Amino acid sequence: MATSSTTLVIASSSGIGSSIAQRLRDRGDHIVQIDPAFDLTNAESVGQELRSLSEGRVIDRVVFAAIDPSAFRAAPITSLDESEWDQAAEYPMRAAFIVLQQIHSVIADGGRVILVLPTVVATGVSGLVPLCSAVEAIRVMAKAVARRWGVRSITVNTIEVELSAFMLGDDDPNGVEIPAVPVLGQPSLPAGSAVDDVLGLIDMLATPAAGAITGALLVADRGTVMQP
Amino acid sequence: MSGLSGLMEGRVVFVTGAAAGVGRGVATAFGSAGAIVGLGVRRPEAAEETAAEVTAAGGIPVILRCDVTDAAQSAAAIEQLIRDFRRLDAVVHNAVSGRSSEATDFENTTLDEWEDHAAVTVRATWRLAVQSYPHLQKSKGAYLLMSSPAGIEGSERAPFYSAVKAAQRGFVRALAREWGPDHIRVNSVAPLAISPALENMKILEPERVKRIEGLVPLGRLGDPETDIGPPSVFLCSDEARYVTGQTLVVSGGRFTSL
Repeated sequence: MATSSTTLVIASSSGIGSSIAQRLRDRGDHIVQIDPAFDLTNAESVGQELRSLSEGRVIDRVVFAAIDPSAFRAAPITSLDESEWDQAAEYPMRAAFIVLQQIHSVIADGGRVILVLPTVVATGVSGLVPLCSAVEAIRVMAKAVARRWGVRSITVNTIEVELSAFMLGDDDPNGVEIPAVPVLGQPSLPAGSAVDDVLGLIDMLATPAAGAITGALLVADRGTVMQP
Repeated sequence: MSGLSGLMEGRVVFVTGAAAGVGRGVATAFGSAGAIVGLGVRRPEAAEETAAEVTAAGGIPVILRCDVTDAAQSAAAIEQLIRDFRRLDAVVHNAVSGRSSEATDFENTTLDEWEDHAAVTVRATWRLAVQSYPHLQKSKGAYLLMSSPAGIEGSERAPFYSAVKAAQRGFVRALAREWGPDHIRVNSVAPLAISPALENMKILEPERVKRIEGLVPLGRLGDPETDIGPPSVFLCSDEARYVTGQTLVVSGGRFTSL
């Protein structure tokens, strides 16, 4: 379903965010993309970059999929020093704050903000305490923002996908071994493309009918983790 | 409080932010359960009333200077308990930023305000866990975080407070798995209770407090000692030996779908 919207994608050069950006670009959407190598915690430069990239266009949609793969490296919390804790846990939280804050001035009324996060908090994952802390903080920050921006008919929702989707296209993800997420069994649905699954939800959230959905969590993991 | 009697007899508990509000009530409840209660506070003189309440309840208070954003202070507080009592059975991290009750202008504020919240509620949550780990491992103890319903529902007025409290929920779920093999239990309580901030709100915005109370099926805000204290003690006691990775919402029924 091609659209004429301008979508801002904040994603790394690999993984599901980048794949989403490419697929949207392939079908003719206008895409502006910020790589997380950019310092997302610098409000001034993020704001300037957003204004520059959008070239005066109004942003209709924002897809935030910028969790750095380094946060997926499993390690006991007792082995982390303060810098490692900060990088894996607190930097993503600060980045989400600054990006959401700066989006506010460039996104159109009625716009859609979609955060794509790994589905790790529903079960909790040993070795990924920083990541689980960051993901839940960002998800609830998004809910708070959804409440604040509802007056402008802007919706803010979260899509969670399996952790492995964040490694898409990464032949050598810096030696990061994907930790096992504790689930009872295999996905309930047949295997498929996580990118397709997420794109379908992004398109659905862009429809007028989805204008009443905000602050929601949509889990696109093919039934691997069914939340109580 | 008789239901708590003896539940933590001879056990050593460290409560941060124990000078007032929920921390003070929880500390007193641990006193009622017979515990030795380390009262972590930034200014020791501010904990004297809490200490008296713990003593009156039947516990043994130990006032500890502990600004949780200062790694050396929290390490020294834990070491003092170990030196004096040779054990640590539970840590209750309750301290929050002094700005927790302030509204956050999310669209216009700076990282400085975020840092105030993150230092106390996110970084100190991690650091206290690391510092207490060898002792909790030895006692097969418990780590309890005082979270908030805001950390589940997301507060329009307090997006930073909501986010850092949510971080604690994610932390609990993951660390419960990580520390399960050590038999250390990790849980959180999300209380709706009278706090200094709410007391202040009663004066400044009485209608708002009435509105909140009207949303509580039990018709009132919780009392820190008698409503929030007992479930907190329970979660740190042997009676909750099979409970880990949970967030217990103690809100008089205000939040039933979290």
